[in-house]
Amino acid sequence: MSSVCLLAEQSGGKLNPITLEVLSAAQTLAGAAGLPVRALVLCGADETQAADALAGYALDKVIRVAHARLAPYVAESHLAAALAALAACGSDPLVLLPHTYQTRDYAPRLAARRGQGLITDVTALRWRESRLECSRPVYGGKLAAEVYLRAGPAGFYSLQAGAFPQPPAPAARPVPIEDFAVEIPAPRVLAEAPFQEARQSVDLSQAAAIVAAGRGIKEAKNLEMIRQLAAQLGAEVAASRPLCDSGWLPMDCQIGSSGQTVAPRLYVAIGISGAIQHLVGMKGARTIVAINKDPEAPIFEVADYGLAGDLFAIVPALISALNAA
Amino acid sequence: MKIIVCLKQVPAKDAPLRLAAGSDGRATAIREDVSFEMNEPDAYALEAALRLKEACLARQESGEVAVLTVGPARAAQMLREALAKGADRALHIETPSGAELDSHAIAVAMAAGLQSENFDLILTGLQSDDAGYAQTGLLLAENLGLPHATIIMKIEPHAGGLRVKRELEGGRFQWLELPRPALLTIQSGIDKLRYATLLGIKQAKNKPLARLELSALGVSPGSNRLAVARLAMPEKTKATEMLAGTPAEMAAALAQKLRQLHLVP
Amino acid sequence: MISPHPELPAEVVIVGAGPAGLACALRLAQIIDTHNAAHPEAPISKDGICVLEKGREPGAHLLSGAVMDPGALRRLAPEFATDLAALDAVPVHDDAAWFLSRRRAWRLPITPPPLRNHGNYIISLQKLGAWLAQKVEAAGITIFSGVAGAELLWTESGRIAGVRTDDKGRDRDGQPKTGFEPGSDITAPVTVLAEGVRGSLTEQLRKRLRLEGKIPQTFALGIKEIWELPPGRFPAGRVYHTLGWPLGNALYGGGWIYGLPENRISLGLVTGLESSDPRLDPHALFQIFKTHPWVRQLLQDGEMIRFGAKALPNGGWPALMPLAGEGWLLLGDSAGFLNGQRLKGIHLAIESGCLAAESVFAALRDRSPARLGEYATRARQGAIRRELWPARNFHRAFEHGMALGLARAGLQWIMGGRDPFGFAPARPGYQRMRPLAEMRHPAPALTPDGRLTFDKMADVYHSGTRHEEDQPAHLLISDTQICATRCAREFGNPCRFFCPAQVYEMAEQSDGSRQIHLNPSNCVHCKTCDILDPYQIITWAPPEGGGGPDYQGC
Repeated sequence: MSSVCLLAEQSGGKLNPITLEVLSAAQTLAGAAGLPVRALVLCGADETQAADALAGYALDKVIRVAHARLAPYVAESHLAAALAALAACGSDPLVLLPHTYQTRDYAPRLAARRGQGLITDVTALRWRESRLECSRPVYGGKLAAEVYLRAGPAGFYSLQAGAFPQPPAPAARPVPIEDFAVEIPAPRVLAEAPFQEARQSVDLSQAAAIVAAGRGIKEAKNLEMIRQLAAQLGAEVAASRPLCDSGWLPMDCQIGSSGQTVAPRLYVAIGISGAIQHLVGMKGARTIVAINKDPEAPIFEVADYGLAGDLFAIVPALISALNAA
Repeated sequence: MKIIVCLKQVPAKDAPLRLAAGSDGRATAIREDVSFEMNEPDAYALEAALRLKEACLARQESGEVAVLTVGPARAAQMLREALAKGADRALHIETPSGAELDSHAIAVAMAAGLQSENFDLILTGLQSDDAGYAQTGLLLAENLGLPHATIIMKIEPHAGGLRVKRELEGGRFQWLELPRPALLTIQSGIDKLRYATLLGIKQAKNKPLARLELSALGVSPGSNRLAVARLAMPEKTKATEMLAGTPAEMAAALAQKLRQLHLVP
Repeated sequence: MISPHPELPAEVVIVGAGPAGLACALRLAQIIDTHNAAHPEAPISKDGICVLEKGREPGAHLLSGAVMDPGALRRLAPEFATDLAALDAVPVHDDAAWFLSRRRAWRLPITPPPLRNHGNYIISLQKLGAWLAQKVEAAGITIFSGVAGAELLWTESGRIAGVRTDDKGRDRDGQPKTGFEPGSDITAPVTVLAEGVRGSLTEQLRKRLRLEGKIPQTFALGIKEIWELPPGRFPAGRVYHTLGWPLGNALYGGGWIYGLPENRISLGLVTGLESSDPRLDPHALFQIFKTHPWVRQLLQDGEMIRFGAKALPNGGWPALMPLAGEGWLLLGDSAGFLNGQRLKGIHLAIESGCLAAESVFAALRDRSPARLGEYATRARQGAIRRELWPARNFHRAFEHGMALGLARAGLQWIMGGRDPFGFAPARPGYQRMRPLAEMRHPAPALTPDGRLTFDKMADVYHSGTRHEEDQPAHLLISDTQICATRCAREFGNPCRFFCPAQVYEMAEQSDGSRQIHLNPSNCVHCKTCDILDPYQIITWAPPEGGGGPDYQGC
């Protein structure tokens, strides 16, 4: 193992912000092991500025692979480019990537080509002697596993969004950007340009933030206030079972047993007392906020932040407090 | 069109999971004292395959769906369910009870089990509801040298290949064009799942269910690339911080916390 | 008009893959195999025999303590003795009866003879069901799992002509959703009802044909948790029964503690569903039972891992309904084959299944449905009679309370089951409920601590119960106005208390009034509401097949 290598994710020349979280994890990891950090940026011919954004952080170097076949993203081309460029990152790097739809689409094959393992959806990394142990949620977040690569730490790790929130250390001196030329054969799969479309049903399990309402909101018309708050937090709206039972929200918005199991970065439970059936569906969320009038409600047991009081006063106040900035 | 669907049997969605006692007090697996069922994303892959087959049959073309699993003896139950829903035959690569395989080992076993098969398409769920590594499908494609596409919402086969709709993040989608054979991982909710009919359950008894031993394919837990050091109930690392004050004070304090945690866009 | 229900012609449809239904199927397969070997020229096909099971898989809805008398199983499938691990079975090596007061526990100097369990096995009934189901399928009989019997099919002449299975894919308003599959009509000359206690088709039959025993059937509710304890706390194979606290003199019932393999115990309480108190809450009583110092000490540092609740018929011999008729047979708990004195019914269920199989075979072979009637005669003689007749007056001995009842039951034991005193006219349990206003004492209650004691929702979680959410309510209340008015006034809505799964709530409306609100997804299929509702306006109908508890290891 010679380096910790970060596989950046960008689109249109703009870094996906989670790349910086992965960078901060890479810096921490490399610091502990006394290894250099290298960043690998795969981009289209006119997306090269993505590498510049990385050069401002404490890194050994940025390796840029620019090629017309890298935009728009196609798995095979990415795979070919990453494979070639990794060979230039020194022997057997330890590779960190973000756990996104894009890396899910090529990282397993990349690891396999290199004859190595990939641990996905990692929430924490720690050295335990010579092993690099990764925490990751399993069974829908009901359990947590510590996993490692049997052949040693060199290999691939994809990190969950929000798990490494520290900003990366800035560069003390200018970081060199090296261009690396690759041959990319014509892919078998052709990709058309992405397009936006209203989803028919929301897959809450992929939502980054969720505002969930429960019986405490009393009447269907109070959902409007919940929707406003959700809009401000960029969150999806969900509910505990009684609300879906009453038909106030569609069934696919139900969190908990017989509904969806979710693990967003932020979960705001409003007027939800926290029956075990609800808790099993959401306690894997990273940050949990509970707003409930009963300070003894079990939801506060799993909450990071508890607001005990009248939700009809707190929620509007929260909406204006978020508006204020 | 011949379609292979890869299935995994996982603990039932609401099963109360408990940890199995490990050798030195550390658990690395769950207890098997729960019910198991077809991994939900795989059920959607099966549904998509059955619909493709039915479309073929409606066009007077041939169509076949074969289901494949790598799992212990209990997984046969899931294969029978797939047969009852309309799959034509099943292949069970049976693992010794208690043997935990990772995505790599499962994909190698599946690729070996498919050696003598001809197929146009392989479908898998986008990930399993147990370990959820989301790699078995791609590793199988890699082992078979197939092109792939992930998180697929729609499949439109045509003479030359496949046009598929892939889900991206943030409500975006993309159409892809693939040759056949190919492997697709299927997004949950792509179609409404069907019920097994009584006739289907009855007919399933007479459909072929082939068994292969894992060891006969040269795969064992020793083939794993990943190892589980420990399995545990998620620890609550932070104590609950109760925010005090008037509603406005509590709201302001919370808004500040959320901003500090970069949770406000 | 063409029926939307596809027809599936069969010879025999068995409703319920419990010990009775599966024993019937397996015995029938054995008899047919023997017959076909002896008469290759006139073989009988097993293809037309099918079993319906509303649970997701056989065993999922089976719940019992359970101590099994192995006699009937030994005759049906002697190989069980070499497969004990598959049944989670251990031989009973030690039993005792205890009397509990509020703070103390006394071991009775002798274990009453009916509670002696030497030679019996502690088993998991769920595992027994799964094990028998494998044998039945291997014998070539189809089990339709996740398929409920929705209604009985009748001919114009009033014979039963088979079973209509449940519709799949209706939304909460009853409208078909995409993928809707109407139920099938399984037409068969023989319908075997082995639904367990208070079967929903059996109820249709009972009401339509006005079937009655000599006295109305009475019921109790068994509530059970499985706990894992520190090693060495309670040996596998030990059987304890308890009497007394927290039930008091007026309430029929008692507790049990059975030692299972792997440091687990089965712990439960049976409460009679015949209380005068409309606030009767068997779940709360069970939780209180665990707070007894003697029980609490046992459970210290243990962990609750499973929960279940199921009613049981305890009227015994005099409450038996007619057992067979034109095209139908009643088996097991559906018939009421449970020995309340010995707390056992599994062996009788198996026995009745085997007897039924013989009559069904005769009817098939001779194409003579009338031969089904032989089952009724034979079930009322032989092994079932030998067991139930001497205990015929047992349950009624307790009509004036537990203390007097125990003495009287002892006297009956000596007198071969006769009771020298005579009984007051028997009434079904729901008719014994008295108005709330007459209650002088507060109902027993406790605040669950989440470690030793649990609320209903936490227990429901540990029952593994799951239903399709978007389906019509399967608890049919014929007049919800009664709930809001008469019942609220007279009895204070006892469904809120007796249901162990919090299915029933009285929800406050915006105008301040209260309306019944159902949480059908919580239902653990125990049938208590169907039995005990004082106005008999609740009908328990099967939800979409596959829904319900998941009693793994129970």
